[in-house]
Amino acid sequence: MWKYLFMRLLQIPPVLFIVTIMIFVLVYIAGDPVATMLPADASPEEIAQFRHALGFDQPFYVQFGNYILDLIRGDFGESYQYGTSALGLVLERLPATLELATASMVIAILIAIPLGIISAVKPNTVIDFFATSFSVLGKAIPNFWLGIMLILVFSVTLKVLPVSGTGSYAHIVLPAITLGTAMSAEITRLVRSSMLEILHQDYIRTARSKGLKYSAVVIKHAFKNSLVPVITITFLQAAALVGGSLITEMIFAWPGLGQLIIQAVYAKDLPIIQAAVFVTASMIIFINILTDIMYRVLDPRIKFI
Amino acid sequence: MELNNQAELSPYPVESSRQKENMSKKLLVLLKKLLTSKTGVVGLLIVLTVCLMALLAPIIAPYDPNKIDTANMLKPPFWLINGDLSHILGTDNLGRDILSRLIYGSRISIIVGILSVVVGGLIGVIFGLIAGYYGGIVDSLIMRLVDSFLAIPTTLFCIVFLTVLNPGLFTLIFVIGVTNWVMYASLVRSETLSIKEREYVKAAKTIGVSNFNIIFRHILPNVFSSIIVISTLSIAGTIITESSLSFLGLGIQPPAISWGIMLSEGREHLATSWWLSTFPGVAISITVLGIIFLGEWLRDVLDPRSRGTKS
Amino acid sequence: MRGKFSTLSIYALVSILLLAGCTTTSKGATTEVTKEEDKTLIISLGPDLMTWDIHNHTTTTTEAIHVNVFDYLLMRDKVGEIQPHLAKEWNKIDDTTVEFKLNEGIKFHNGEDLTAEDVKFTLERVAKDDTLRSHGDYDTIKEVKVLDDLKFQIITTEPDPMLLSRISRQASGILPKDYIEENGWDHFENSPVGSGPLKFVEWKRDNQVVLEANPDYFGKKVTNVDQVIFRAIPEDSTRVAELLSGNIDIVANVPPSDWERVKSSDNSQIVNGPSNRNYMIFLRTQEGWPTSDVKVREAMDYAIDDQAIVDSLLNGGGTPSLSRVNPGDIGAQEELYGKYNYDVTKAKQLLAEAGYEDGLTIELSGPTGRYIQDREVMQLIAGMLEEAGIKTEMNLMKWEPFVELREQQKFKDGYLIALGSSFFDAGQSLNYYGTDRASSINGYSNPEVDQLLSDAETLMDESARIEMYQRVQDIANDEKPILPLFQIDQYFGVSKSIEYETRMDELIYIPDIINK
Repeated sequence: MWKYLFMRLLQIPPVLFIVTIMIFVLVYIAGDPVATMLPADASPEEIAQFRHALGFDQPFYVQFGNYILDLIRGDFGESYQYGTSALGLVLERLPATLELATASMVIAILIAIPLGIISAVKPNTVIDFFATSFSVLGKAIPNFWLGIMLILVFSVTLKVLPVSGTGSYAHIVLPAITLGTAMSAEITRLVRSSMLEILHQDYIRTARSKGLKYSAVVIKHAFKNSLVPVITITFLQAAALVGGSLITEMIFAWPGLGQLIIQAVYAKDLPIIQAAVFVTASMIIFINILTDIMYRVLDPRIKFI
Repeated sequence: MELNNQAELSPYPVESSRQKENMSKKLLVLLKKLLTSKTGVVGLLIVLTVCLMALLAPIIAPYDPNKIDTANMLKPPFWLINGDLSHILGTDNLGRDILSRLIYGSRISIIVGILSVVVGGLIGVIFGLIAGYYGGIVDSLIMRLVDSFLAIPTTLFCIVFLTVLNPGLFTLIFVIGVTNWVMYASLVRSETLSIKEREYVKAAKTIGVSNFNIIFRHILPNVFSSIIVISTLSIAGTIITESSLSFLGLGIQPPAISWGIMLSEGREHLATSWWLSTFPGVAISITVLGIIFLGEWLRDVLDPRSRGTKS
Repeated sequence: MRGKFSTLSIYALVSILLLAGCTTTSKGATTEVTKEEDKTLIISLGPDLMTWDIHNHTTTTTEAIHVNVFDYLLMRDKVGEIQPHLAKEWNKIDDTTVEFKLNEGIKFHNGEDLTAEDVKFTLERVAKDDTLRSHGDYDTIKEVKVLDDLKFQIITTEPDPMLLSRISRQASGILPKDYIEENGWDHFENSPVGSGPLKFVEWKRDNQVVLEANPDYFGKKVTNVDQVIFRAIPEDSTRVAELLSGNIDIVANVPPSDWERVKSSDNSQIVNGPSNRNYMIFLRTQEGWPTSDVKVREAMDYAIDDQAIVDSLLNGGGTPSLSRVNPGDIGAQEELYGKYNYDVTKAKQLLAEAGYEDGLTIELSGPTGRYIQDREVMQLIAGMLEEAGIKTEMNLMKWEPFVELREQQKFKDGYLIALGSSFFDAGQSLNYYGTDRASSINGYSNPEVDQLLSDAETLMDESARIEMYQRVQDIANDEKPILPLFQIDQYFGVSKSIEYETRMDELIYIPDIINK
């Protein structure tokens, strides 16, 4: 176990290194941000002068070398757009994004588990179809369309929830629904299939033949044992959300990483892109390892042998 | 077994007991099975309709989809006041016929959907086969690369890539394809790992069959059905990705038409002229629904891991 | 079979629910907003503030917030006329020296006096530090000479007729020298101090900027509200939704498709006014491009119906013009304003004369998501050109790659763009017709234009200078290396409880906003 953990941890630095290089090269090919930093009517002389002043006219190896040296010292540099520490900017937005990811996870679970259980208990019935279609629909509707629709219906017409921004628990509801419905599709399917699998197993039949109530069997045995894969996939999806909620954050003016990252990519603000990718990648790797270990520790099969 | 990603985290052990079967017989059995599955039939019908629509666009579209008509801007669908049968689903903010645009739009949505899955699949399968078959340092290197890709969120990766390359149909296909190669790579790798331990592969090796032949004759055919299953499902995801990129202004650009672009251009008008983006939205949802139904059914039939879920 | 139908019917049900949601929205806005009690004015311009370093950004939306915290030496009024502000009087000493006198008793928000030393500190920083983004607009300033606490001279490297425009715009707000030198720039950017009508309270990035009224302001005070909040909401439809549900008092850039909806609601209105921004098409004049023939360029001008674009895409919010210099700018040729050429037959005839009886194909590039209705304008223009026999391939892209395409001259026959002019002076906007500047764009070159432009650049006699610029516009109108299309209006959605007027420079000056 510890050896395994050690091996996994050992893999992190090379992965982060590859990610860093990949992003640097991509952004370098994309060109420097100088032209977009100046006004639309800046003259070529002004642009060239500014490029020189910022050191973007140096050859690739010099820029790359400097960059790596800074990085080794833990310095992601200053944002070209905002002129302040890139890592600081990223860490400042992280809590809002994590908050949204958590809320979406809760909503996804609230939708997925009942739907999954119902459709597993009554497979291939009308209820099953209802449940499956509903969850699939969540994935089949683009986020931004659903987001705008939810605002129109719940905020503008019904006036029951705030439109955008932060400030209260009510503010998080619509963005979390937008992201949560998309997440719930996969989870519902997984709950359904793993429950079905377990419901067909011998010990469940034994439990039933002993005269236990069906609902008790479903909840106590089948559901409990299907939890591990469900938790795993939920965490993995939540990890993907850390960088995947960009569009939803834009629609709801949610002050998370999303807007920062999109703006940074457009403006070729390499320090911010790097810091953001570094932070999200670290988190994704961390969550992966965590779920991986959890999975190994909690596997239901081990319990029943 | 290392658990690097979602595909491998499936709660069921990889167990492949498939034998080579006669292809045509297999197909017939497949078709028979299809007819017994209700969702499968619905899925197939939807997918066939969309494909036909894309193929026959010039014949069935009532108008040139890019014909601007300032006299007929924002006309509602025929069943609403001011709407009429000349534009069944109404017109957009430049007076273009929505039905015609929907029909033509299916082309790019389908092309992007299928081709980017092919691109991702090809890259992923090749890397997966190599990693799984050769193992050792090659495997480690490829898997670290896979880990790196997994660590970068897909949307972020697409945005960075698309700002580097000039936007266009093939760029888009390439970028979306590249973002999902890792899924194929890890799936194929783990299946290859188990298949290469089988007796007939070992036997082939001892009698001196070349590595190339073993990979393509003995291993690839055995992982094929799993590839087909995840491909169908990822086509659906790709269509959604395309529309999200259009929302960010990084997708296909006019005069090309896709459902994604119609959806995102029309969002400004959602509150006043809802038909602009609702119809493409519905088209995307129905198509994705159809593909997912078809894919789920294929999974049930082809994938031994989920056989238990059929009842 | 039952299963299949239930799937479809659920689908239909959900769609109907969603549709019902959108068709009823226009009737929905009924609740009354009561913003008067807490006396907070909430505004959303779209993007967030970039930075508090006034010299290191180039965005109008950021300047629109800065202008309330920092004061310029001179300031334009709503129609664009320069008025005294921090400086109460000024006079020209010689061609390169202007002497200013500050108003007495002006204090920064931290209580320190605003003196000539602060002016010197501010202007010389941007004039000398070439890593600052606004440096290019201030490098004609050679020195600021302090005479006493209130008197100082600005000395330019050569005669600069645009000096007064320069110091009454972006990046010329006066900063507190002592405060910055004591605490450093990082501290200043986190808690900026200015002298303006509003004081800094807090800034949560990508969320909101909170300002409060400055009771000790030397000029027109903000009296009707205690607090002003600028919220960052990038998505247009979200901003409009916030306005309609009564949470925000003023939103910028309401898309034309929503004007009717805003107007018909009970609590909000649309306020519009001209901006100093014009749509235009740059065309290549270098050999080898079809557009090098002036007849082709003229044909394009005749093929495009500027008024129809304004009417159908901007709901009438714009004015066609044959010059990019608008009335109100120094040197505008007003005879060209409000006019446009449209005659498809003539366009075809011109094409035939140029040898393109059978039509031709060109490629136009253009940005998307940058200017109001930009991708629609481009598509409509392409449609119009096609009517006249010019098949137009569109190359639309996001703003940032577009900027690069422009900079590296990778565009083909031409590009569409909507340029503004923050100097309100033809000297800035006609720069594009000079050989020097045009060589890196469309290759236009006319010795007479060059002579006029270089003479006018350092000419301190304003009326002679204006005449020269008007002559340049007449020549440009004959030769058409650039096709000016129309001036665009700016549109704000404003709560009915507020009286609001747009400013030509697109800034939001809070003291001018009146709560009814």
